[in-house]
Amino acid sequence: MSAEVHVAPSADAPLVWIEVAIRGGAAADPFGLEGLHRHAALLARRGAGGRDRAAFDDALDRMGAAIDVGVGRDSTTMSAVTLTRNLDDVVALCADVLAAPGFAEVEHERLRRETPQVLDEIRDDDGSLVTRWFDRECAPGHAYGRTSLGTEASLPRLELALARETWRREVVPDNLVIGVAGDVDEARARSIAARLTERLATGPAPTPPEVGGSDPTAGRRVVLVDKAERTQAQLRLGHLGPRFGDPDTAALVLLETGFGGMFSSRLMQEIRVRRGWSYGAGCVLRRSRGRHWLEIWMATGIDVAGDAVKTTLELYADVAARGLDAEETALARSYVVGSMPFHNATARQRMQLAVRDAVYGLPAGYTAGLPAHVAELGPTDVARAAARWLRPDAVVTVAVATAATARVALEGAGAGPVSVVAHDGY
Amino acid sequence: MLAAPDGLVLEAESRIGRALVARRWRLANGLGVIVVVDRAAPIVSYQTWYRVGSRHEQPGKTGLAHLFEHLMFAQTETLAPGEFDRVVERTGGESNAATWVDWTQYRLSLPAAELALAVRLESERMSRLLLTAATVEPERDVVTNERRERVEDDVDGWLDEQLMSIAFDVHPYRWPTIGWMADIRSVTLDDIRAFYRSWYAPNNATLVVAGDVDELALLAMVRDAYGALPAVELPPGPTTVEPPQTAERVKRARRPIASDRVLCGWKVVGQGHPDWAALELLTTLLAGSPSSRLHRRLVIELELASSVDVQLTPFRDPSLLRVAVTCARGHRAEESLAEIDRVIGELADGGADDAEVQKAKNLTETDFWSALVDVDGKAEALGHHETALGDFRTLGELAERLAAVTAADLRRVVREYLVPRTRTVIVAEPDGSEPADGDGGDGDGDGDGDDDADGDGDDDADGDGDDGGHRGDQG
Repeated sequence: MSAEVHVAPSADAPLVWIEVAIRGGAAADPFGLEGLHRHAALLARRGAGGRDRAAFDDALDRMGAAIDVGVGRDSTTMSAVTLTRNLDDVVALCADVLAAPGFAEVEHERLRRETPQVLDEIRDDDGSLVTRWFDRECAPGHAYGRTSLGTEASLPRLELALARETWRREVVPDNLVIGVAGDVDEARARSIAARLTERLATGPAPTPPEVGGSDPTAGRRVVLVDKAERTQAQLRLGHLGPRFGDPDTAALVLLETGFGGMFSSRLMQEIRVRRGWSYGAGCVLRRSRGRHWLEIWMATGIDVAGDAVKTTLELYADVAARGLDAEETALARSYVVGSMPFHNATARQRMQLAVRDAVYGLPAGYTAGLPAHVAELGPTDVARAAARWLRPDAVVTVAVATAATARVALEGAGAGPVSVVAHDGY
Repeated sequence: MLAAPDGLVLEAESRIGRALVARRWRLANGLGVIVVVDRAAPIVSYQTWYRVGSRHEQPGKTGLAHLFEHLMFAQTETLAPGEFDRVVERTGGESNAATWVDWTQYRLSLPAAELALAVRLESERMSRLLLTAATVEPERDVVTNERRERVEDDVDGWLDEQLMSIAFDVHPYRWPTIGWMADIRSVTLDDIRAFYRSWYAPNNATLVVAGDVDELALLAMVRDAYGALPAVELPPGPTTVEPPQTAERVKRARRPIASDRVLCGWKVVGQGHPDWAALELLTTLLAGSPSSRLHRRLVIELELASSVDVQLTPFRDPSLLRVAVTCARGHRAEESLAEIDRVIGELADGGADDAEVQKAKNLTETDFWSALVDVDGKAEALGHHETALGDFRTLGELAERLAAVTAADLRRVVREYLVPRTRTVIVAEPDGSEPADGDGGDGDGDGDGDDDADGDGDDDADGDGDDGGHRGDQG
């Protein structure tokens, strides 16, 4: 076996995008070592191929190119963009990151000092903060609840040798998905993929982490993340849902769209248009390799936060019991089918869709082909999937708000018992 | 050269991207139409740019342009409430809008086969919008929630709002695009109707259409749908000239944050000025990449900050070159400000060498092409240049202007613009922290703990002026 390669040529602009997904990601961080994959990836980018961090950055920036690394739930990703005229030199730098990262002690120590500050920035931003807490609380113990950034407790435990070993073990050709898009032809793209992997050690791809999870248990609850001086409550409601790629996915995409995926959807109409409670409101079925969240989002004034949660839970119970009506289903179906050209309009989008499908373990073309399945579904299919997967009795609500003003309202929302936590407690 | 259809005049054309051409046509009523035929995908971006933004508002009625933008999705003579979005979404398309200081923009992204729908919807609401209390009041609540989310509860939005309101004394850029909360709550239905009648007319708009379209067929549709709309006598635009700033301005305040935040801005020229290209390269050189001077000094070498960002706000009138810093744990704003001064001093004294200038040019070139990859990006870039600068061809000229910048130009603009007397500094300090300046006050000198220097309750959400649209997308 070797790396899986996806190519999407386009001569529209003198740019080439490269994406290398390394299967694993934050879900593969060991318990107690949250943040390990991020730490390893950032270190790999900070000096490689015999260049220290400054020399590496100078070489890359001189060409007007960029190489970024990021950690998702299911993969670590290295992404690059370059002007076509500098492609060969940028590929060489990308290959250095993969095959010959420096993992310098000085950068390891610097990163250990930096990461807690990123945590501070998340705490300063209510939207990021509510997501961090919701991920933790939605399905305790689930691998996707593990923070990719790490925690105050886990960060000091991230050792350099562990990061280096993680990179060495996971960056093997069999564990990579490579995408190349833009101003290249198929043959050149494949030669780029070959150059990216030719110096890598061969070995078996690591066993991917378990990302199943059991069905949610009955009982609603609220986690109120107490932060001072809030005028709003940032809200997330949800529970563990199915895997993207489950046989019910097409029906649930239809439900997601009709309930909270369009401006005309039920949530947006009831929460924003009719009541003016929030600038936006919607729901999302998180796309991942394993079972992930069904999640509702909005941000309301604190004075209406309780009413908004109560109304949302009623709407959710209704859609769980009855699905969408015929008109909603028709609109959502038409939207999903018609919107696909916007998701794969550019070469880069087509490449990224293909890479994502591969990382999720889906058949080639799965996402692009989903609208064809959606087109065949009706209200009965949606209702059946809703009955199977939606659990209004098990909704977890997370609110970032000032507890002194929000607690009473949330206690009366019918969302279950309220526990208050400090905003910087995680 | 295409032959002009009846009723339209071809005014200008320019290359965009590697192989595409943008043409500007005009109807007799003044409506401009810029078309880029791009057959890369079976979609079309149909954008309507109005030459009205928050700079055209009056004190006491701030936020009107933005609130009005929300109402453009509500109801028309032939579209019931909610129908606009339903008919767009039925095609798989999206609609959104944005308001900024110099313009308001409405965008429809539709399958190419639905081009006629775009023409019908946008021509309808250009002249036949229904404005009633029933549509205004819920949307007013939505906008107040938008403001809470983007400003009151967001430290970056708060910093931006403070910077603009303190840096500008008289120019309308001093108030926020989203408007002061008190104004959002008090604007009347009559104000809204008057605003619509005054500014929403074919002679104050440009259509920008990019995508898989037949240009002549499109132009015929546009002529048929818009041709009968009357031009109006537009109100005089604002002519206020901001007087030169003669001394540095500093404000400090406490916020519920983890570490000090700094946002400072120097007065610089508007986007159409010849010095703009050199200033744009300067922002890249300062913080546009991992090896840039401020990033390397503040974040990597001295670890004074966890992030630094530099932006040149692309306004029509003189605006700001802004530096935003999030201080590292245990470090104060003063340390970062001192280091920023040092880096600027080095640039003013020694300048940058040719290699560093070329690096900035290469990075800017990558950004330039990246912004034009899809049809929305192409339409947006053309629409902004046409509306804010008066001619879409300035987009193509920008590449030439950037290429012509020299190391001497960079040194000159640093010396000319990045001087202390034109700078405004806003510092947010964590609640409960030791005061760095010894007074521990809220910075506006009145000791009341609020953040409102001029007492009018003013604000600008994210400093890019763009309020982000009417849909409330997130998640």
